[in-house]
Amino acid sequence: MSDKHEPAPMVNEVSDFEVLEMAVRELAIEKGLFSAEDHRRWTEYVHTLGPLPAARLVAKAWLDPAYKKLAVTDGVKASLQVGVDWINSPPTGFGTPSDYCALRVLEDTPKLKHVVVCTLCSCYPRPILGQSPEWYRTPNYRRRLVRWPRQVLAEFGLQLDPDVEIRVADSNQKTRYIVLPVRPAGTEGWTEDQLTAIVTRDCLIGVAVPKPGVTANAKRPVRPAVHPVHHSH
Amino acid sequence: MSTSKHDRTHHAKKATGIGDPQCFKGEAGKAKFKVGDRVRVKDLSDVFYSRTQTYPRGAVGTVTVLVYESPAPEDEAWDNTDKSEWFYSVKFRQKDLWPDYPDLYANDTLETELSERWLEKA
Repeated sequence: MSDKHEPAPMVNEVSDFEVLEMAVRELAIEKGLFSAEDHRRWTEYVHTLGPLPAARLVAKAWLDPAYKKLAVTDGVKASLQVGVDWINSPPTGFGTPSDYCALRVLEDTPKLKHVVVCTLCSCYPRPILGQSPEWYRTPNYRRRLVRWPRQVLAEFGLQLDPDVEIRVADSNQKTRYIVLPVRPAGTEGWTEDQLTAIVTRDCLIGVAVPKPGVTANAKRPVRPAVHPVHHSH
Repeated sequence: MSTSKHDRTHHAKKATGIGDPQCFKGEAGKAKFKVGDRVRVKDLSDVFYSRTQTYPRGAVGTVTVLVYESPAPEDEAWDNTDKSEWFYSVKFRQKDLWPDYPDLYANDTLETELSERWLEKA
């Protein structure tokens, strides 16, 4: 083997955290805290969750002022009407282990825009939104959104007037948040189904606002690093 | 092997069908602060565990909601759940958190939750 030999690129298919999760999971199974079968069932359950119930909650709130009032005062109760039972859902029957049972629905106005982050980890209202997008969990989003919210929102394509108050909600404890955006112009006379379709996951996190005709999350821009790190292989 | 004296299911027994933090309702007694109060975030020790971020410490904000009662994470992390306290949602002006936040966006705010032990009257 020559001195110039360089190792082939490592493929990090499993991250350190995944290894840690596997180790803890296997210990828990060995100890009998839960079975492998329980784990498979819970994992499959969480993958059935998605943002659709929250989108419907928003559409219903736009159409029904009484329901909107319930949503902003008791999000857990309002969730029942869109098929999400925070308290009695699997796996535990008292909230998912890290999501608890405290949902706050943050109501935007034309002069107030909410946006959600968890600076400590990646707390996310999973029972009603499903798994968080990868970018939501990155240190980049978490540390920059609290300090430079306007710049980060601009990167998502959302530029707001200076007289609009941006309110960042940092979910550091047991409350989980979704945003109730302002109903956009051009949706007059729409049905609940039509309105639900334009409330995307990004609208519910607060990094986008609903627009007629837009039913998918925008592609998140990937910007080249200013000072990229060059590897020798 | 001896069996653990500690009951690992005590939280599940208490919370099932009720919810967490709902299961701690009524345990914290009288709340020290009310909606609208101005509060300052203390800079307590976080040697072992905390969910109070570094950035709001020392800053003054306004209580917006008394959200729930629960053991503080500093205790709950070690399963010390016999003493609940009030949790407050506190709204800060971004200018009060980040001195270099642009004046043009003086309206911008941030809301986060703190347990009673972290707050003092401002």
